[in-house]
Amino acid sequence: MMGAFSVLDIAGSSMGMHQSWLDALANNISNVNTTTSTDDDAFQAEMVVARARTSGGVEVTDIEKGSAEGRVVHDPDHPLADADGYVRRPDIELSDQMSDLIIAQRGYQASVQVTKYAQDTYNAALQIAR
Amino acid sequence: MAANVPLVPSADVNPVDFASSGAGAFPTSPAVSGTEFADMLAENIDHLDAVQDKADQLSVQAATGDLDALHDYTIAATEATVTTQLTVAVRNKAVEAFNEIMRMQV
Repeated sequence: MMGAFSVLDIAGSSMGMHQSWLDALANNISNVNTTTSTDDDAFQAEMVVARARTSGGVEVTDIEKGSAEGRVVHDPDHPLADADGYVRRPDIELSDQMSDLIIAQRGYQASVQVTKYAQDTYNAALQIAR
Repeated sequence: MAANVPLVPSADVNPVDFASSGAGAFPTSPAVSGTEFADMLAENIDHLDAVQDKADQLSVQAATGDLDALHDYTIAATEATVTTQLTVAVRNKAVEAFNEIMRMQV
C-alpha cells in the first residue's frame, strides 16, 4: 500500500530540501551586513548541497560554507576596525541570494502543486468505487 | 488418406489419475477461501490504524510548534484521509457483494 503514496513521499522530500534552502538563504540575507574584525573569520554563506535519492525525490547531503576571508573593507570609524582601519564583510552578493530565494520558493510551490494533483488523482480513483 | 495430424499415443495425453487425487475425478480448484479476504481486510485496517496514529502524532507536534517540516503533517493527513476512504470503499463493496449473493434464489 505504501507504494501508492510514493508520490507524496517524493514531493515531501522536495519540500524539505527547499525549506532547508530557504532557511540557508534567509540566514545569508540576514547576515549580509555582519561585519567582523580582521582577526576573526567573516560570516560564511551557507550553501545547501542537494542530491537525488535512489528511491525517488531529493535529499540534502551537505551544507557547505562560503569563503571565510570575505571582503576586506577600509572602514576606520567602525568599532571593530584594526590598526589599519580594515574590517571584514561577508562575501555575499545580495542580488544572487534574492534571485535564489525566488527560485527556492518556486521550487517549493511546484512540489505543493504535485501534492495537490496527487490528491486529486487519489480522489478520482476512489470515485470509481462509489 | 492419412491425416496430417500426428497421432499421439493415448498414454502420453495427461492421464487423469483417479487413484492419487483424493477428491475423486475432478481436480481440486485453487483455494480462494473467505479467510484470505478477511485477512486482507484486517491487514488493511491495521495499516489504516498506523497511518492515522502517525497523522495524530504529527498534528500534535505541529500544534505545539515542535514540527520543523509542516508539509510532513499535511502529507500524513492526506494519506490518512485517502486510506480511510479506501478502506470504507472496500468494506462497502464487500458488503454489497455479500448481500448480492445472499439475495440469490436457490
